[in-house]
Amino acid sequence: MVAFKRLLLLAAAFASSYAKSSSGDSVLVIVEPKKQADYTLFLDGLREKGYDLTFRSPRADAPLLTQDGVPSFSHVIFFAPDTKSFPSDITPQSLVSLLGSKTNLLITLSTKQTSLTSLAAEFSLAPAPPGTPLISYFPERSEPLNVVPIQPPSTSHILSQNMAPVWFSGTPFALGNNPMLVPILNAPPYAFASEVDGGSADSLVDAAEKGGEGLWAGSRMGVVTGFQTTTGARVVWAGGAELFSDEYAKKQISQGVESGNKQFAQEVASWAFQESLVLRIDHTEHHKFNTTTPSELYTTSDELVYTAQVSRFYPERGVWKPYSDLKDLQLEFTMLDPHIRIALPPVEGKPGTYSVQFRAPDRHGVFKFVINYKRKGFTHLLSSTTVSVVPPRHDEYPRFISAAWPYYMGAISTSVGFFLFSAIWLGGEVKAFDKKGKGRKAE
Amino acid sequence: MPPKSAQEKARSPVESLWKAYNEDTPDRLKFVDSFLLFLMLSGIIQFMYCVLVINYPFNAFLAGFASTVGQFVLTASLRSQVNPVNQGEFKDVSPERAFADFALGSIVLHFFVYNFLG
Repeated sequence: MVAFKRLLLLAAAFASSYAKSSSGDSVLVIVEPKKQADYTLFLDGLREKGYDLTFRSPRADAPLLTQDGVPSFSHVIFFAPDTKSFPSDITPQSLVSLLGSKTNLLITLSTKQTSLTSLAAEFSLAPAPPGTPLISYFPERSEPLNVVPIQPPSTSHILSQNMAPVWFSGTPFALGNNPMLVPILNAPPYAFASEVDGGSADSLVDAAEKGGEGLWAGSRMGVVTGFQTTTGARVVWAGGAELFSDEYAKKQISQGVESGNKQFAQEVASWAFQESLVLRIDHTEHHKFNTTTPSELYTTSDELVYTAQVSRFYPERGVWKPYSDLKDLQLEFTMLDPHIRIALPPVEGKPGTYSVQFRAPDRHGVFKFVINYKRKGFTHLLSSTTVSVVPPRHDEYPRFISAAWPYYMGAISTSVGFFLFSAIWLGGEVKAFDKKGKGRKAE
Repeated sequence: MPPKSAQEKARSPVESLWKAYNEDTPDRLKFVDSFLLFLMLSGIIQFMYCVLVINYPFNAFLAGFASTVGQFVLTASLRSQVNPVNQGEFKDVSPERAFADFALGSIVLHFFVYNFLG
């Protein structure tokens, strides 16, 4: 009986550990205790995947985000979009430093102005003015104007294909030029930000006439946007918390068509929590062509071979596997500037291996093999290996150079000429004396 | 005689010079001159190659060119020392002694040239 129980426990442990984030399983959910039940479907989905959830009220002082300078959780979810003031350990600065220590954040905003709204500006997101949610008159529906169904893009790496439309209500934000931004869900082209009653027609016309600043409208606005920091941490900004709620997950888009909210919320969370699109470089190596041992020192114009091993995290099993599907990986051989920048193609038959052979530039100095792969949504791949490239040693130059043959021939012919001259001079002495004698006589 | 020489001069100064050289120069000196001509051509060819094509192994150019120039100088010295016309100036130097100097100088020259060539 005891053994059976153990077996059950073991099975449970396996079940809960089959899917894990690549960066840790502890999640802090900051949510009003009263509203906790609103997100049951989403939070249970996370638990099923194997996450370890801890809850904290936005007003409570514990548990702390960081303790003794070490982040206490791997991921933090903010389901408190209306909270104006947080306890002293949750400040924009502390959240930014959390990102620096690779903690991932999922932050929801609302149409109210909070400290998180101003933090959004630091991520190149400009939320619409307070009190102006996303409004759309299309498609015709019984729901209020500010509850908008949005069709997720079909070309996204983060979301799966052919997802049902997603219910959204909340604030849209304009996206800045920051290359770290990863748009996940944008507003529909016919939506705009306005007061809940839709605003009077006159006020809309006035706003539109003000140009750029005036009317917040169109599909350039984001409603769910990711941001990947240079440290590799991920943040997802959502314009409204209702997107993740049970209510919207169960709400049908039209008669008999389930909304995509449940799936969307899980997929967004799996991107934010480093499950999907997570890559890493396992190791890199370099050596001279026709040798196998790496060297710290190469000679100019050597043929070099550089190899990188790339893995991708597969959350279904929670394992890293070799990944050969990067088509646009590049290698740079740099000394301040890239002297060489070439494609680093995958090697056929060797999963996860990317290799290229190239000739070192005819330039000596301290060079770096650099992989700098930054694609929207994917983990940034950065690798840098320093090597020295030196000129040939004094005995490594070619002994005889074809271009110098005229000079060699010149020197040799002079010597041969000298020997022939000497031989004839000495051998032809008698005759020469005769001649010289004649010359003397003539004189 | 005078009209003939005038006629000759009128023909061409270069031609008369050539004729005088052919008639008055001992064979031994002509032989030396042909060697000098060869050295000069060789030097000119190397110089043109250096200017027009490539001067890359510059030490090789210097060695090749210097060997022709040096050999030219040594041979020219030999020529002036064995020339019977200059006998008054080189009373103490016999032709054998001049040749020995020439040979020794050339060997030393070639030693340096081959050291510098490659």
